[in-house]
Amino acid sequence: MSSAKFLRLVTSSYIILFFAYLFGPLIVMSITAFNSAAFPRLSPWDCFSTEWFGVLVNDARMMGGFKNSLIIGISVVFVSVPMGLAGALMLGQLSNRVRPVFYTVTISTILVPGVVLGISTLIFWDRMGMMFNAGYDSIFYDGIVLTIIGQSTFISAYTMLVFISRLQRFDPVLEEAALDLGATNIQTFRKILLPFLKPAIGSAAVLAFLASFENYNTTVFTIVSESTLTTVLASKVRYGINPSISALAVIIIGLTITAALIHEVLKRREQAREIALKKEGQVGNVKTLSRTAFRKPVTLMVLLIFVAGLSTVWMARAYDVNQCKIEVSEEKRKKQEELSKKRLLEMQKRLESQEAASANGSDSKSSKTAPGTDQYGSIFAPTNLEGQVESTEDQKENSKTPKNQYQNIFAPTNLEGQVESIEEKTEASKTPKNQYQNIFAPVNLEGQVKSEKE
Amino acid sequence: MSADVTLENITVKFDDFTAVNNTDITIKGGEFFSFLGPSGCGKTTLLRVISGFQEPSQGRVLIGGNDMTGIGPNKRPTALIFQNLALFPLMTVWENIAFSLEVKGVSKTKCRKRAEELLELVAMPGQGDKMVNELSGGQRQRVAVARALAAEPEVLLLDEPLSALDLKLRQHMRTELREIQQRAGITFIYITHDQGEALTMSDRVAVMREGVIEQVEEGTKVYDKPVTAFVASFVGENNAFHGTVSNILAAKIVVSTDSGVLEASPAEGSSLKVGDKAIVFARPEAMSFVKRRNLVKNVINTEVVHQEFEGHFWHLILQGVNGLKIKMSQINDGTTEVFEEGKKIKVQIDPKLAVVLPSGPLAAE
Amino acid sequence: MRLWLKKFFLRNGIVLSLYMLLVTFIWIVVMFVLPQIFMFDFSFRFNWTQIDPSKIGSPEDIYTLQHYKFLLFGSPNNPDPLNIVDVTVFGRTILAAIFVTLFDVILCYPVAYYLAHVAKGSITRLMMLSLVVPFWINELLRAFAFRILFGEEGTINNILLFLGVLNQPIDFVRENIALYTGLGYAYILLMIFPIYNAVESLDRNQIEAARDLGSPWWRIHWRVVIPFAKPGITSGCTMVFMLSAGALALPQIIGGPSSLWFTQIIYQWFNTGSNWPRGSAYAVSLMVICVILVLLIMKIFKVKFGEIGR
Repeated sequence: MSSAKFLRLVTSSYIILFFAYLFGPLIVMSITAFNSAAFPRLSPWDCFSTEWFGVLVNDARMMGGFKNSLIIGISVVFVSVPMGLAGALMLGQLSNRVRPVFYTVTISTILVPGVVLGISTLIFWDRMGMMFNAGYDSIFYDGIVLTIIGQSTFISAYTMLVFISRLQRFDPVLEEAALDLGATNIQTFRKILLPFLKPAIGSAAVLAFLASFENYNTTVFTIVSESTLTTVLASKVRYGINPSISALAVIIIGLTITAALIHEVLKRREQAREIALKKEGQVGNVKTLSRTAFRKPVTLMVLLIFVAGLSTVWMARAYDVNQCKIEVSEEKRKKQEELSKKRLLEMQKRLESQEAASANGSDSKSSKTAPGTDQYGSIFAPTNLEGQVESTEDQKENSKTPKNQYQNIFAPTNLEGQVESIEEKTEASKTPKNQYQNIFAPVNLEGQVKSEKE
Repeated sequence: MSADVTLENITVKFDDFTAVNNTDITIKGGEFFSFLGPSGCGKTTLLRVISGFQEPSQGRVLIGGNDMTGIGPNKRPTALIFQNLALFPLMTVWENIAFSLEVKGVSKTKCRKRAEELLELVAMPGQGDKMVNELSGGQRQRVAVARALAAEPEVLLLDEPLSALDLKLRQHMRTELREIQQRAGITFIYITHDQGEALTMSDRVAVMREGVIEQVEEGTKVYDKPVTAFVASFVGENNAFHGTVSNILAAKIVVSTDSGVLEASPAEGSSLKVGDKAIVFARPEAMSFVKRRNLVKNVINTEVVHQEFEGHFWHLILQGVNGLKIKMSQINDGTTEVFEEGKKIKVQIDPKLAVVLPSGPLAAE
Repeated sequence: MRLWLKKFFLRNGIVLSLYMLLVTFIWIVVMFVLPQIFMFDFSFRFNWTQIDPSKIGSPEDIYTLQHYKFLLFGSPNNPDPLNIVDVTVFGRTILAAIFVTLFDVILCYPVAYYLAHVAKGSITRLMMLSLVVPFWINELLRAFAFRILFGEEGTINNILLFLGVLNQPIDFVRENIALYTGLGYAYILLMIFPIYNAVESLDRNQIEAARDLGSPWWRIHWRVVIPFAKPGITSGCTMVFMLSAGALALPQIIGGPSSLWFTQIIYQWFNTGSNWPRGSAYAVSLMVICVILVLLIMKIFKVKFGEIGR
């Protein structure tokens, strides 16, 4: 008996831990949106503030990307819902031999890496454009159109799965009955099948929009020179992060939860109706019963969200953010001064040790112990052994083909790469889209120190 | 209003399987016609051929003299009542009934009016606004009929529509369907595996086996004068005594069986010769107790296995020679005798009520 | 085929038949199969777009294996026998994806079982909903969240330092811990749902019967539940594996600086490298290897492709 109890305890704590893993990151991120500190963090907590939402709204790039994401998302809905529907209907009419093949092909659109889908779409339409001698401003090179196409390729499979599961519960005899009563095929489709599929169309549309909205892997290739929210986010997150992204996350999490809840409510209603269909004569009872049963948790959640929102607004008004900020920054400045002195010393030591290390070709693991001057420093710091070994080989090649990738990955962060960093920078200024250079070069404090030296 | 339906050499094949084999039949306008057969005999396929959901592999369908080849189900003057009724669950009762008018573009008020009329016809006045799932089984049945009639078909096809109902309701609906048919005055083609349904409602019955029609006749004929062993064993209950023809008399055929030499009437147009394998069919009600000691013709020795009481009838399950199961039914005249298990009794078969048929496959038990 | 088409048109009418045929054709052939073929073709071509666009389609525009060779052996002046960087990255990506997949199976199986057979009614619904929500949050935002958590001054380090567990912050990003947890997190849903669907259809009586016979709980799972859920587990594994091997955003944002993900190299060939054919060759290689691995696993576990999908 006690072992059963123990088992239950273990299970429930596992489930709790699991959901903590699921929601922890999102909650922490959401909270950081309200910390006035310039870096998204939970501690040390500076001041409660909603200023990052303002920063977010005033971020033109982000808003531009958001607009594009909306356009793409809505278009994807309009493309992938009819496509998935056609696929699902088709599947039902194929012979037993062809059906598994068709299913496999459609499902592989989901399984094929998004990167591959993006690339193939990009190449295909590029080739098509060439074939038709289309200019670079034609739709063959329009990032938004390409993204819609690329995303719809696999999102249609999502919607198809939604339709398949709905169609499994459809009685095809109903179609025959309608035909028999003199309806044309189109009338049958419109009056019998579509009403039946209505809830599935709703789910599929929500699913398609969300999938499109959050997609990155495919989009990053097909978007070409445009940008969507995700690509803007990606470059932002890589350049340097600030809590305005957390603010965006708060908004998106809120919207997603709302969408999920609405979806759930609709699904519930649908199910209640279906149960009622089976139990003749008890429609009224079943409907009200299941509704009230479900209402409790949902209304509770909605209420919680609402209260949280209200209290935030109230708290934001209740106290003066600026006053708090001034206090905190004053405090910090003192600490910072002490710290920066210490850091400067350490950095010099480290530079020396690294130069020594690279001179005799040994590895630079020692640099690991040196604390990064800021967080990013440590991410991009030249601790990679391979990088150092490789770069010597690559340099020869680099000079011949300056676009070679290795340069971008390893060069600027590498001590040996210093020689080239000047070259690099001029190139970087010419091609600002070159993201890797930007990641590794300018953010890196070491790099800056070095360039000052030079 | 009502039309003849003619099937000309209809054959339907699914890959290697022949569902309907070379069927030729004419159903007269205004007739209540039933196809009776066990499941898988091809009767539903035949119905789908008539309604246009299934293209025959061979042959053609004429309705009212018009060739229906290449004409879709929505263009044929037929209406089908499906086994599960196939009422549209997302529509109200009247929307269901008026569906055929709606798709023709009839105005909503006219649709509604017609639906009410039809509801009256099927004895459900004023229930048009209910949802389908609020109806009882019998009511759904009626709505399905009303919906089919709304299309003003010349032929109404019914695919075992009563099978989902309970016994009482089923018996009630039989009479009701027959009445509706007479009121509407159109051809009904009814599919069933239940001989009771076929016999009570139909003007004529076609008994099918493995894609072939074995007999087409009025219900009484099919029951009393079956032409094949299958029909004899499928329609109603029958005791079968296998044997060989030993003599042919004027109105009788003598068959020697394991149970003894039996005399019985030949079927119409019988071509049995001496020496042919044959089966003597004797219905339970054609059996009686031997009253006169000296009678030797058509008497078989049996042993009582079981006795059943069924109200207006009571039955004896007997065991004959070689373990042959024999059923015997007696009208309950209030003097029911109790037979002990294992009691040996002699039973006589009325030669006028028994029929001799050429040997052939029997219906599965 | 002709017979089928005839039946198809007869059944659906002209308009609907055309809609279905045309739309599925556009989807499957134009949007999916043809682009894959073009990419495959492209991966065998010289990088003319960069060198000399006028040569495209000229007699010099012939097929070449150079990009595949480059992936394996590096540039012609590479002294090593292999293109160590790319091949290692490739291998590490595959291994890491396998690791993430295993991590997800172990993590998700108990939850899926719990959802299917332990949790009741509305709690199940609520838990399902909670599973779906994080899945639909932007992948980049999830990555961002993990960066906040796992940064050197991130929440986890701060907590551990505060508790005195550590006296030096751990660089989770460099150790790729952030990446693996992030990837595992990202595909939880894709693992749970197939397993859940499979486990749910298991008759509870079977479990009860095994319990009656005195099997301990782990044995019940090992001998009854897991074999039954095999198609679901394989289906989930396939999806998680393919998606994590093909992930791009997470490795870009929370991947350790010293360990690239293979997709990042592909990305570089397209963006910074401006060598699309080579990028295509890399993409084709990634896909082919992944598909082979998946098919192999399916073969081993005797699961059909048709069982994949939710």
